[in-house]
Amino acid sequence: MRVLCARHPHLGLLAALRRYPELRGEPVIIGGAPELRLPVVAASEAAQAAGVRVGQPLRQAQQHCPAAVFVPLDPDGVARLRAAVCAGLHRLSPTVEAGDQEAFGDLSGRHAEYSDEAAWASALARRLRGVLDVEIAVGVAGSRFVARLAARSSHPGRIRRVRSGDEALFLAPLPLDVLPVDPAITARLAAFGLDCLGAVAGLGPADLQRQFGPDGLRLYRLARGEDSGGIHPVPAQRAWSERLVLDGATGDLEILLRGVRQCATALGGRLTAEALAAGEVSVVFEIEEAEAISASGVPAAPSGNAGELWTAALGLLGELEPQAPVAAVRLGVSRLAPAAGRQADLLRPGDGAHDAVVATADRLRSRFGATTVRRPRLALDPGDLPERRFTWEAPVVAGVAR
Amino acid sequence: MSDSLSAALATLRSRYGPQALRRGGPPEEAGAWSTAVPVLDGVLTPGGLPSGRVTLLAAAGRGPSGRLTLLQSLAALASRSHDTGYVDLAGTLDPGFLADLGADLDACLVISPGPARWERGLVMARALVAAGMPWVGVALGGDQPRPSLWEHALAALAEAVAKRGAICVVAAPAPVAAPLRHASSLTLVCTAAGWQRANGDVAGLRVRLTTAKSKLGAPGAEATVLLRYPRPYATAEVVGLPSVVVPRLQPIVLPIPDVAGVAARG
Repeated sequence: MRVLCARHPHLGLLAALRRYPELRGEPVIIGGAPELRLPVVAASEAAQAAGVRVGQPLRQAQQHCPAAVFVPLDPDGVARLRAAVCAGLHRLSPTVEAGDQEAFGDLSGRHAEYSDEAAWASALARRLRGVLDVEIAVGVAGSRFVARLAARSSHPGRIRRVRSGDEALFLAPLPLDVLPVDPAITARLAAFGLDCLGAVAGLGPADLQRQFGPDGLRLYRLARGEDSGGIHPVPAQRAWSERLVLDGATGDLEILLRGVRQCATALGGRLTAEALAAGEVSVVFEIEEAEAISASGVPAAPSGNAGELWTAALGLLGELEPQAPVAAVRLGVSRLAPAAGRQADLLRPGDGAHDAVVATADRLRSRFGATTVRRPRLALDPGDLPERRFTWEAPVVAGVAR
Repeated sequence: MSDSLSAALATLRSRYGPQALRRGGPPEEAGAWSTAVPVLDGVLTPGGLPSGRVTLLAAAGRGPSGRLTLLQSLAALASRSHDTGYVDLAGTLDPGFLADLGADLDACLVISPGPARWERGLVMARALVAAGMPWVGVALGGDQPRPSLWEHALAALAEAVAKRGAICVVAAPAPVAAPLRHASSLTLVCTAAGWQRANGDVAGLRVRLTTAKSKLGAPGAEATVLLRYPRPYATAEVVGLPSVVVPRLQPIVLPIPDVAGVAARG
């Protein structure tokens, strides 16, 4: 596996700078008003230069940097930025993860458009820079832990690559405090006279296990850059909708169709732009002085553009029979997932056909009922009754949490 | 060929193009999935069940015909090499029996659309085939709905099977509806030829298979196979495990290969 790690300023800080562009270059502290007994969430470079650190109390941060501007964290702005990062990286990598200060992408295999890993990593870095509008430091390595350290040792606008097999060599001179383990363990290692990861890597797994129990084996693997952390994509659970208020309530079917069509065009364009497809579609008619009526369904195939969305909506419109003039129409999509057929899907590890079958089975269950598509499993304690010899379970893609 | 016929052919070719008239050749070749059953691979079908086509196991009449047991045996065999879907419209599938037949249940997906929901079952089968399911069996049964309700879904399934090169085996009760007869490239008519008894117990069912239609070869071949019922608890005492896991540990042996006799082409 090859992992790309991109380090960037905290998304909370970037969201604040987007909101208040005049604060660029100024000392900015994210977390809230200094009177509040809250910790610093993020700080700009100028604030950090004055001694402000993440996690310290806001009041203390104010003492370090009296000229700083304090801005509360904007969760919505952060969520928007994170979604933009995911969408941007998804176009080039099949599996991505976006954290507050780091983004990860899967660089395993080859990309059809880029001749080598360096070009591919550059493309990802350029895209991320375009999304966040800030220089980022990038590291590429064979594991999450090493990629993260490579990114830390890199500089903004630079890519640090650790070749496969060179992980232990790269880690050897690094100090012990880079290990993501309990500080007590690091302190004990230092007490043994071990001052760098290379020294820890020289020990055997049995020695480490004897001293540190189960953590010893993890330590042994980490010191060699063999962690199996991987990338943890966050499943998309978003729902979007588009509402159109009609110019006067009407019962004219032609106008309602046109309204839904307009919503489908807008939503479809948004789905296409973010390379997503909707697993469920709903249509709502808001009726004057009465309760809204709605219909929803799971389309035969996920809708990823305006045409597919319009086809799915058209199928639902037959179920809606408004008894009074309609004031507004609303088209909603939910269960958004990366659309199939993207270039990046070619890079997805595992059996693509099997994953597609399982995804289709999942969609059929949503459409026709949870018991319509199942996988039988032999019971461990079968007993004498034939119906106790097996159980049913829903099929899932191996390695993906649903 | 007479001169006048040659002249007529030349005129037609010059008028409508060289592709307008072509000499008939051997039947169109299709890939085949070997069942490892000599009768099925050699006598009834050339090389095995055709891929990209719909194979129909049709009951000859009312009563037991062995078509569902044969379908389940084939599904069990297929599950050992790839993902397998089983659309249970007949409502008779016992996964334990499938395991006794040697199926790898991890590779089996059972689709239960509900009784007499032929259209829904065929739509679901089509969706799975279009997604890449390489082998799908459809057990039709129950009350047969009007063909107008499901013939479009069947045509869509046949199209998806052809597009993806999948294996599709449909078991249908008698009387077989016209859309099914039309969609199938290979129709094997199943007729129960009597129970196979051993030590006073029923050990299997003898089934006569007749190739009623074949787009891949000449129809009319006939053979009889013995569908031997697996004995689920026979080895349980020996290995101390649920017997249903045993067949997967054994070499690949289809429980239907005992050929009682092969008749000549009719």
